[in-house]
Amino acid sequence: MRIMIIGGGKVGYYLAKTLAAEHHSIMVVESDPVRCQRIVRELNSKYIEFTCGDGTVMHILEEAGILRAETLIAVTGRDQNNLAACQLAKSCFGVKMTIARVNNPKNIRVFEKLGVDSVVSSTDRIAGIINQELDWSEVNLLFKARTGGVRIREALVSAGSPLRGRRLAELGLPQGLIIVSVLRGSEAIIPNGETTLEPGDYVVAMGGAEQLAEVCDAFTRE
Amino acid sequence: MYIIIAGCGRVGSALAARLSMEGHNVAVIDPSDENLERLGSGCNCAAVTGLPIDEDVLRQAGIEQADAVIAVTPDDNTNLMAAQIARQLYRVPQVITRAYDSRRKQVFDSFGIDFVCPTDLVADSVFAKLIPGGKKA
Repeated sequence: MRIMIIGGGKVGYYLAKTLAAEHHSIMVVESDPVRCQRIVRELNSKYIEFTCGDGTVMHILEEAGILRAETLIAVTGRDQNNLAACQLAKSCFGVKMTIARVNNPKNIRVFEKLGVDSVVSSTDRIAGIINQELDWSEVNLLFKARTGGVRIREALVSAGSPLRGRRLAELGLPQGLIIVSVLRGSEAIIPNGETTLEPGDYVVAMGGAEQLAEVCDAFTRE
Repeated sequence: MYIIIAGCGRVGSALAARLSMEGHNVAVIDPSDENLERLGSGCNCAAVTGLPIDEDVLRQAGIEQADAVIAVTPDDNTNLMAAQIARQLYRVPQVITRAYDSRRKQVFDSFGIDFVCPTDLVADSVFAKLIPGGKKA
C-alpha cells in the first residue's frame, strides 16, 4: 500500500520503519528540519521517501506525493494539525483512508464527526488498561509485598463472552487461578462449581498474571 | 449577542474590549493566563484558561449558548479546528476566523469557513494608498 505519514516524531518514525519492513511504500512529511535529517539518516530504505515541510499546507502535501497515497496517517503531537492533514487529504486530494492520532481522548468524537475514518488515542488505551486494575491496586500492593506473583483483578462478563451462561465447573479454568467472587447487581456471590455467569456480572479473579490475563480476556471478549 | 473569542492576543483582547463596551456578552479563551491579563479590569468579559480545541473548555466558555465564535489564535490549524467544532458540533450561527498564513486561504475556503486574512488586508491597503484607483504602470 502507498501510505503517507504526517509527523516524524517517535510515533511516525517507528510507524515508517515498521511499515517499510513490510514493503509498504511510505512517504514521510515532517516540518522540523533537525528531525527530518535524523530520520533521513537513520531510516535509509528504498521504501521510504521524505519531505521536509508542513503537512497541513496543500502544496507541501502535493510535493510529497499525496496524489499517489491510498492512506494518510497523521501522528504529529498536535491534534489540530492531525485533523487538518486528514481533512485536506480526504476533501482536497481524495485519499481513501485517513487515520489520526489524538492526544486528548475527548477529541476522538470530534475527529470522527469531522470526517476522519479512524482515530487512535494512546492515552485512552492506556487509561483503559489501568482502569481495569485501578480499584485493586492497593490490594495488589499488599499481595506483591507478601507473595510476589499473585494478583487480583476484576472483569466484566460481556454479552458475547464464550464463558457466559456456563457453570464455573465447566469453564476449565487454568491451574493457579480461582474466582473469588461474582458481583451481580448489589450482591456479592461467593461462587462454587454450580455458579453460572451472566453478562453484566463482574468476576473477581485471583491468580498469576498470565492466567489472569487469559481468563479476563475470555470474560470480556465480544 | 453572546460571543466567544478564542485567542487573547492583541486582536482578541481588542475585539473583546470593543464588543463588551457595545454591550455584548463576551467570553475569551486562551491557554496563557498572562495573555488573559491583557483584558484588564476595564473589560467586562469572562476569561477562560485553556485550549479552544478542547470541548470541556469550549463548554465552560458557554459554547452551547453562543451566537458567535471568533477564532483569532496565532495558529491557523487551531482556528480551523475550533471553527469546525463550533459550526458542526454546536451549530453556532456565526463563526469567523483569522487565516494568518495566506497559503492556507484555500483550505479555509474549501471547508467553507469564513475568514479574514490580515496579510491580504495590509497588502490591499498599502496598494490602495500607493496606487489610487489601481492604475497600471
